[in-house]
Amino acid sequence: MGCASLRTPMVRQVDVLVIGAGPGGYPAAIRAAQLGKRVLLVERDRLGGECLNYGCIPSKALIHTANLVHAIERATERGVETGPVKVDMARLQQWKSAVVQRLSNGVGQLCKGNGVDVLAGHASFTGPDRATVRTSSGAEEIAFTDAIIATGGRPSDLPAFRFDGKRVLSTKEALELPRIPLNLAVIGGGISGLEIGTFYAKLGTRVVVIEILDQILPGTDPEAARIVGRRLQKLGIEVHTKSQARGWRVDKDQTVIDVLTPEGLIARRADCVLVTVGRRPNTDELNVDRAGIEFAPRGYVKVDRQLRTSNPHVFAIGDVVGPPFLAHKATKEGLIAAEVIAGHPAELDYRALPAAIFTDPEIATVGLQEPEAVAQGRKVRIGKVPFAAIGRALTTGEYDGFVKLLADPSSNVLLGATIAGPDASDLISELSLGIEMGATIADIALTIHPHPTLPEAIMESAEAALGEAIHVLNR
Amino acid sequence: MAREFKLPDIGEGVHEGEVVKWFVKEGDPIRENDPVVEVMTDKVTVQIPSPVTGKVLQLRAKEGEVVKVGATLVVFGEAGEAAPTNPATAGRPTIVPSAPPKASAPPPPPSSGEALAAPAVRRLAKELSVNLGALRGTGPQGRITEDDVRKGAQTPAMTPKPATSLAPPAAVSVRPVQGGEERIPIHGLRKRIFEKMAKSNVTAAHFTYVEEVDMSQLVHLRDHLKEAAERKGLKLTFLPFFIKSILGALKEFPTLNASVDDERGEIVLKKYFHIGIATATDEGLTVTVVHDADKKDLWGLAKELERLSNAAREKRLALEDVLGSTFTITSLGKEGGILATPIINWPEVAILGVHKIEKRPVVRNDQVVIRDMMYLSCSFDHRVIDGHVGAAFVQNVRNSLEHPALLFVGLE
Repeated sequence: MGCASLRTPMVRQVDVLVIGAGPGGYPAAIRAAQLGKRVLLVERDRLGGECLNYGCIPSKALIHTANLVHAIERATERGVETGPVKVDMARLQQWKSAVVQRLSNGVGQLCKGNGVDVLAGHASFTGPDRATVRTSSGAEEIAFTDAIIATGGRPSDLPAFRFDGKRVLSTKEALELPRIPLNLAVIGGGISGLEIGTFYAKLGTRVVVIEILDQILPGTDPEAARIVGRRLQKLGIEVHTKSQARGWRVDKDQTVIDVLTPEGLIARRADCVLVTVGRRPNTDELNVDRAGIEFAPRGYVKVDRQLRTSNPHVFAIGDVVGPPFLAHKATKEGLIAAEVIAGHPAELDYRALPAAIFTDPEIATVGLQEPEAVAQGRKVRIGKVPFAAIGRALTTGEYDGFVKLLADPSSNVLLGATIAGPDASDLISELSLGIEMGATIADIALTIHPHPTLPEAIMESAEAALGEAIHVLNR
Repeated sequence: MAREFKLPDIGEGVHEGEVVKWFVKEGDPIRENDPVVEVMTDKVTVQIPSPVTGKVLQLRAKEGEVVKVGATLVVFGEAGEAAPTNPATAGRPTIVPSAPPKASAPPPPPSSGEALAAPAVRRLAKELSVNLGALRGTGPQGRITEDDVRKGAQTPAMTPKPATSLAPPAAVSVRPVQGGEERIPIHGLRKRIFEKMAKSNVTAAHFTYVEEVDMSQLVHLRDHLKEAAERKGLKLTFLPFFIKSILGALKEFPTLNASVDDERGEIVLKKYFHIGIATATDEGLTVTVVHDADKKDLWGLAKELERLSNAAREKRLALEDVLGSTFTITSLGKEGGILATPIINWPEVAILGVHKIEKRPVVRNDQVVIRDMMYLSCSFDHRVIDGHVGAAFVQNVRNSLEHPALLFVGLE
């Protein structure tokens, strides 16, 4: 009695299965639940995904602290006297973890409050409307009406530099170091490499950055990258572009890496090597082929404008559908996928996908960038104003950088913006809204911006584009 | 070398056209003058021939899409050439589109393209299945507002199909309709007719004046000329005579060969005589135009009318065949009934309706005699045409129809 039924596998029936609780997956799950769906959210690690637990959030907590240290050290010239500033890395890590924990708990509460069921485990497809979730207590079969793949991506390493968690680190481990390393080598002069490299440099680490292309922050407006490059130099960070890390060895308990620079082969000592050379999608353990899902090149999942894969009931969002790897892009896609599943006529139609880079100074971009316009042979009207012309920037002592606006030359409609400088990540959203609303640079120039604030630089560069600037000479 | 072919500016206030049908696919070879696309403007449906010999690289509009004058319709190139990137999509952060999904995926909502519209407006457009590209914004610098979208949603041509994914509307009918209903989307020529008739009706101050004409002499004359016409391979109807008659009256009363420029508040007197003929086609009413009618003799008119009527029937009307009329005649021939109140072909100022000719008893010299009689119903824009002018015009027409010799004197 009862034995036969115990052996029958339990199948859990859900409307929407969301695989991955990162910045794409959990908003998708919550929105689907808000729209009346029974939702199961499966996460193999921690709620919030890489962004919240191992990426954006912890790195920003650390970077902010390093900036604080740096600011205190430089306040001497303004008459602020302190003793030497000392950082207790263990306590800093504790504080950072508390921030992360608080946010991760918040995600759990939001899921609960919205009626999203959360299951810890590894999900993989067993059919076009079936999946299995391996949990700590066994396996659970899931029958779903719709599914959203939100499994994200993970850092790539290099054949000569395989992640080992001790000497060759990914961003995740580099943000969890218990001690401040004396020497750090960063392979890949892109966004996360420079963010973390700058963080450690400000805490006293000797940092060397090796970038294979001819510019740090490849793909970013070279004028903005130059501003950051100058600051790296001031911080004593050694930057080698057009250079390749060939391999590493251990010498007297220190890692030594060999770097081929345009000037020849050099060797640099490092306690550890941070490899930030790109990301690849987490699709290998999902058995997506069993659900009839086709791949795009390089392991990304192929989707349409509604984030639908080749299986009309399976959607994919975030890093698994391809670059740019941005949390807010994943979030937007997650919301759209959930709405499409709920029968809304939603689709990807944003005009502005902003990006924020937390280097020193920050860079933030949205819409069309100047190199892109040049490559397309597209004529644009450009207005550019340095922060050095802005009173507020001078009062903070942070005035490296500029605001650059790109507009259509005939209609003056705002097409894009590049900001390098203080608080660029916060300043960019005015321009994102402008692009989404179809604002012209005249709209921006005619809008009163309060004095003395940094956004005056935005108004001023709109005026500059129209040849009406007050605080810079009009060309 | 890729060559973009744009929807040409065809004048006459035509600023956009709806792509009705593509005759070619991307990648097809094409010869000069081969038909490429059928485009319907608010005047007519035209076939646009290829200006080049080569290859069709790219079609820039879908069937049913409304394209503005000056917008690229199609890109031609040499055989073996690849399509250029579409500037409309290049450089925007989009996900690589996949092949249309199989099975039960509903069609995606209309794309908002490059239209100047804020995010909430774009979402509303998707919800109401409105194609933003077909709307004209009333906001600052032509931005599309939520109101524009809502109004667009009420114009059926802009909502080619209801969004399949939307919830069905709440039931409102009290009891089921016996026999059901059919809903026909209003688009294409029918939509133009909708707009034009409504515009005329609310703009012009219509009054209709009716007169009776004794057609006996004209009937006799036409019978007499019929044989001559046949020898020329022509079919002689009464229309060429009506045109001759009207031309004479228009020269006497020039304010009737005119239009109203409502925007500038001016009356435009035309020094040329392009006579429009209201013509029934399968799609609906259209006005074909006999250009410079005053420079044609009776045979010339008959010939041109026959050409226009054939072209309309075979859907071969060129744009100039339907553009530029200065005065319009509406005639239903044998089905012409007795009377009507024609609606002016706005922005013209008058229209003449001709009715059936039938034998009726009339009084001549105190005797009841049988004559070939016909009524004329002529509508005028009373803002321009005073009652006595309209009446005098119709009397002039009547006079020349009753004494057809007048049609052939004093006109040159």
